[in-house]
Amino acid sequence: MFKLDSNILIVDDMMTMRKIVKQTCAKLGFKNFTEAQDGVDAWNKISSAPVPFDFIISDWNMPNCTGLELLKKVRADAKLKSVPFLLVTAEAEKTQILEAMKAGVSGYVVKPFSSDALAARLAEMSKKLAA
Amino acid sequence: MKVNVNFVQPFVDGTIETLKVQCSTDSKIGKMHLKEKDVESGEPIEIAGIIGLTSDSFSGSISLCFPKTTFLNLMTRMLGEPVTTINRDIEDGVGELVNIIFGFAKRQLNDGGHTLKKALPSIVRGGQIQTRYLTASPVVILPFETDIGAFHMEIAVQFETLKAA
Repeated sequence: MFKLDSNILIVDDMMTMRKIVKQTCAKLGFKNFTEAQDGVDAWNKISSAPVPFDFIISDWNMPNCTGLELLKKVRADAKLKSVPFLLVTAEAEKTQILEAMKAGVSGYVVKPFSSDALAARLAEMSKKLAA
Repeated sequence: MKVNVNFVQPFVDGTIETLKVQCSTDSKIGKMHLKEKDVESGEPIEIAGIIGLTSDSFSGSISLCFPKTTFLNLMTRMLGEPVTTINRDIEDGVGELVNIIFGFAKRQLNDGGHTLKKALPSIVRGGQIQTRYLTASPVVILPFETDIGAFHMEIAVQFETLKAA
């Protein structure tokens, strides 16, 4: 699993969902969270972070800049292209999942999700990173 | 007028699944009926999440409508902590729920040949919300029961224009 002092960026336009994701991660022992309310806010925080984020958990469907657009920006940046990026989203059609995989998503959780499902995806992402 | 049950069922299934998984709440669909007045009987609706339905062959909307007590109870379960007031942050919860239900239904409907597009939800809040739809077609009411209160969904779509799936 990722180190418990990992810096985590949580991106979702809905506060309730940011809270649920944060609570799930906190229950797993993680402590350092930054929240963003859309892709623009997230990119600003990524660009100005004093310490880089160890992984990003983002919604897809957001105003201003979607999670997919944010993912593409992250993957296009030489310094960020390997940052693990998990999409937590209500969008789950095959074409959309393929689109996200093509863009370089590290993992995908479909809403509604249990905290066990999110924890399992994080564990998978962490294993891939370690491999 | 015949209601297309194949179109409505994914929204029923999506609601039941979403409340079960995201809010640890079992829910049961009541008797589907057509909307006859601006205000449904039962507790007044305090908050609603609305999402537009747009496809190549029809347009419409779904509204997920909650009385205050049901919504507060649901948010308490969704967030795992007591929620006693509906503030700006908590209002988000209804948007998130209708978003997840829509995503679930969209996936099933599009797998069946429809072409529903992505949409962002809106949130409406007030003391006693009345809904009225500027459509010639009747609006379908899906009432739900849970152990923490009742709520309902309103589906406004011109069913006659739906492609056979």
